[in-house]
Amino acid sequence: MTSTLARIRDAFDAAGVTGRLHALDIDSGAEINAGADLPVVTASVHKLCLLVALHQRAAAGHVDLTEQIECPPAGRTLGPTGLAAMLDPVRMSLRDAAYLMMAVSDNTSADILLERVGLDAVNDTTARLGLTHTHAVHTFGRILATIRQDAGPGGPQALTDPYVIARLRALDPARTNRSTPRDMTRLLAAVWRDEACAPEHCAAVRRLLGLQVWPHRMASGFPFDDVHVAGKTGSLPTVRNEVGVIEYPDGGRYAVAVFTRAASTAATLPPADAVIGTTARIAVDALRAL
Amino acid sequence: MDLMRHLECFVAVAEESHFGRAAERLGIAQPPLSQRIQRLERELGVRLFERTSRQVTITKAGTLLLDEARELLARSEALMATARRVRDGESGLLRAALPPDIPGETVAAILADFRQRHAGVELELRELSTTEQLLQFASHELDVGLIHHPCDVSGLELGPVLHREVGVLLPRDAPAAALDEVPLTALTGYDLVLFHRAAAPSLHDDVLTTCARNGYTPTAVRHGQGASFVRGLILSAHAVAFSPRDAHPAGAADRDPDVVWRPLAGTPLVWRHSVAWPQGRSDTVVGAFAEAATHALRNTTAMSADPPPRPLHLRPAAEYWL
Repeated sequence: MTSTLARIRDAFDAAGVTGRLHALDIDSGAEINAGADLPVVTASVHKLCLLVALHQRAAAGHVDLTEQIECPPAGRTLGPTGLAAMLDPVRMSLRDAAYLMMAVSDNTSADILLERVGLDAVNDTTARLGLTHTHAVHTFGRILATIRQDAGPGGPQALTDPYVIARLRALDPARTNRSTPRDMTRLLAAVWRDEACAPEHCAAVRRLLGLQVWPHRMASGFPFDDVHVAGKTGSLPTVRNEVGVIEYPDGGRYAVAVFTRAASTAATLPPADAVIGTTARIAVDALRAL
Repeated sequence: MDLMRHLECFVAVAEESHFGRAAERLGIAQPPLSQRIQRLERELGVRLFERTSRQVTITKAGTLLLDEARELLARSEALMATARRVRDGESGLLRAALPPDIPGETVAAILADFRQRHAGVELELRELSTTEQLLQFASHELDVGLIHHPCDVSGLELGPVLHREVGVLLPRDAPAAALDEVPLTALTGYDLVLFHRAAAPSLHDDVLTTCARNGYTPTAVRHGQGASFVRGLILSAHAVAFSPRDAHPAGAADRDPDVVWRPLAGTPLVWRHSVAWPQGRSDTVVGAFAEAATHALRNTTAMSADPPPRPLHLRPAAEYWL
C-alpha cells in the first residue's frame, strides 16, 4: 500500500502536477487513497452530476428525454466542441444533447440541460447520494464568465501568467463547483450498481460515459483491447481531471477519480494529461493485486 | 482538551489515511496520536474513523466534520500570526525565504529595504528552493517567499511576475561566441547542462520545450548545477548552459579566459519569479517584504520587459473557451 502511494506521488511529481486520487473496487470496497478527501475543482466533471440528475428527473416522469429542443446560434455557452462550435440552428432531443455533453464535453448542451434541470436539483441529487462535499454554484457559462472577468483584458493569453492563474475564482474549490475524489468514485459506484437512479437510466448514463471520445487521459493508462474505460474529463487553466470506471473481462470493476493542478500554465501539456492514466493504472493494478 | 491540537491530528489522519504517516507528519509518536483521536471522538461524541488491521477509513461523520476542522485550523493559524505581531507591536518576527540562485546584492538590498520599512520586525530569512517553500507554506512554517515559476500556485497569493533575462554560457572558441546575440538554433550540436529534473520538473520541461520550439534540440542533456561543475562541462564536454544576465556583470564576465556569457536573440528564455504568500495570511509586514523583494529584484537584477504575448491556440480537448 505504501509503495503504491509512493509510486502515485512520484508519477504526479514527475509530470509536474499536484494530484489527488481515489480508486475504489466497486464490488469489494477496497480503495487506494491519495488525497481522496481534499476539496477539488470539478470543472466539466460536474456534467456527470448533471447527467445523473437529468436521468433521475426522467425516471420520475418530470422530463421526457426524447423531447426535441431548439437551439439557435445566438446565446450559446462558449466552447470548442459540439453545439458550442456549430454555426447553424439545431433541433435535437434532450438525450442527444446529453450525449454531446458527455462525449465531447459540449458546454452549450450542458447549459441547456442545466437550465432544464436547475442547479438546485443537481445539488439535491448529489446530496441525496451522500456526496456531502460536492456542490455546484455556477452554470458552465458562468464559470467561463468568471474566468473572463478575473483574467481581465488580456484575453486567453493572460491565462499563461501565474499571477492571473492565482486570482481565478474558477480555480478555488471554495468559490466554484467542487467535490472530492472520494465523492466522485462514490457517484460512479452508485451508477455502476444501479443505485444512482432506475436501472435503465443508470445503463443510459454508463453508455454515455463509455462514448467519451478523449483518449489522452484515463484511457491512455489502459492500452488493452479487452478492458472497457468509461469516463468524464474536466479541464480549466492548469486543471486536468478525469473520473471513470475501468472494467476487466474477469468482472473486476474499479471507479477512479483523478484531479490535478499543473505547475506549468501551458495550455498544451501532454505529460499532465497522461499522468491521469498512469496513476489510475497504478491504483487499479494495486487493487487487482489485493 | 486543546481542541486545535486535536483537530490537527484529525486532519492529518484523514489526509494520510494512515496513523504512522500522520504521526510522522505531525512529528509525534503513534500511540499519543491514537489517544488524541480517541479523546476527540469522545469529546465530539462522534466516531471519526473506521480502523481495521490494514487501513484507516474516515467515517461519513468524519467527512462531514473535516471541512470545518480545516477551516478552524486555518483561522486559528491566521489569528496566532496576527496576535504575534499585535502583541509584539512592531517587534514581531517574519519568516521569509529566497531561492538559492538570487544574487548576493539582491539579498542585501531586500534586507536593507525591509529594515527601513519595518525596523522593529525581526526578519528570519531562509534560503529555500521553491518546492521547499511550498511545503513550508502548507505546514505554516513560512510567511512569505520568493518563488520560481512554474509551480502549483493553488492556495497562494502572488505579487507581480518578474522576468529575469537568461543567456547562454559557451566556450570562448565556439563559433556562436563571436555573436553579440546568440540564436538558440546556433547551439545545435552542443550538449546542454541543466539542473536535475527532479529539482523542478516543470521548469526543466519548459526550458527543453522552449529550446525545441526555437530550433535547438540538445544532443544530450547533462545534469549539473554547481558553477564550477557546469564550467568544467562547458570547457571539456562540448556543452553549453543557461544562466541569468545578472550572474555575469559586463566587466567580470570578460575576465574568464575560456567561458563567455552571451544574451539569447529574441529573449526566448526568462526565469520568472514572484513573491508569494498563503491565501488570506497577508498583513502589512508580509506586504512590506513583498514590496522590498519586488523592488530589489527590479533594481539589482537584469529584468527583461514582459515578453510579448505569443499566440495561444486552445485545442478542443482544453474544454474551455474565452
